[in-house]
Amino acid sequence: MKEHDEHDFVVGVPCSKLKDIIDKIDLYIPCTREDEAVALAVGAYFAGKKPLVFLQNSGLGNTVDIITSLLKPYGIEIDLIISVRDTPAHHAFMGKITEKLLDLLEYKNYRLIKQ
Amino acid sequence: MKRIEAIKDIMKDVKDEIVIASTGMIARELYAVCDRPRNFYMMGSMGNALGIGLGLALNLKDDVIVLSGDGAALMSLGTLVLHKKLNPKNLKHYILDNNCHGTTGGQPTCSEEVDFQSLAPNTRVIKVDPEKGDAPRIPLSPEDISKRFKDAVSPDRA
Ligand SMILES: Cc1ncc(C[n+]2csc(CCOP(=O)(O)OP(=O)(O)O)c2C)c(N)n1
Ligand SMILES: [Mg+2]
Repeated sequence: MKEHDEHDFVVGVPCSKLKDIIDKIDLYIPCTREDEAVALAVGAYFAGKKPLVFLQNSGLGNTVDIITSLLKPYGIEIDLIISVRDTPAHHAFMGKITEKLLDLLEYKNYRLIKQ
Repeated sequence: MKRIEAIKDIMKDVKDEIVIASTGMIARELYAVCDRPRNFYMMGSMGNALGIGLGLALNLKDDVIVLSGDGAALMSLGTLVLHKKLNPKNLKHYILDNNCHGTTGGQPTCSEEVDFQSLAPNTRVIKVDPEKGDAPRIPLSPEDISKRFKDAVSPDRA
């Protein structure tokens, strides 16, 4: 995926691990849900922009439908930056399956931000 | 009024606008009423039509119209609120409210309990009949819809 500074439309739902990056991005638009953020990114893509979506891995599940029923069949690629949490307990399971879930979705345009 | 009549009413004044149609019969009926390259037909991703419209309206000068269903709008109420906040002047959002999931056979929604317009005053609600509709499936592949639409809305188009 492209370097951050090539993106010209940035949306997402924050994570404390992403705070330092997001705080530096003036054009960041905070969204209410991760699928909504991907939808805004898709609109931007059609408008000729290079969008980027920030999310925490806990929100990856919220994007499964828009990935499988919009991005895949319509041939749209959207870059994701995903912070990966695997502690405390409520993050442990998603932390364990995040990369497997992305593999299962055959999703390639992402970068993970770990610890 | 039938949903397809509401769509005809909206489309009769449309010239160059970009139109995003929500999942199910709304997209199929828009295709039946007037297919054009600047229409985007959502087949899945229910609830995300307004989000796509926002992404377009924030990045283009063109006018954008989004046609949502009540079921789809209820699925992403947060997006109505984000639309209220960002409120690009070139975006019009209509909810075609038949108080049911018409496409899947008319199962009730709870749209009678919400005043979409007070939640987001820039939303226009059109009450329509609670019927499924009978427009056929859209005979275009999602990939073809996508390519055709991208060319038709591209800011660098000829
Ligand atoms: C996430 C998801 N859940 C369920 C469906 C099945 N589905 C397709 S259309 C539809 C109903 C849409 O209702 P509404 O937005 O009110 O439009 P209407 O058909 O009533 O015009 C449903 C539930 C789907 N496509 N995606
Ligand atoms: Mg409905």
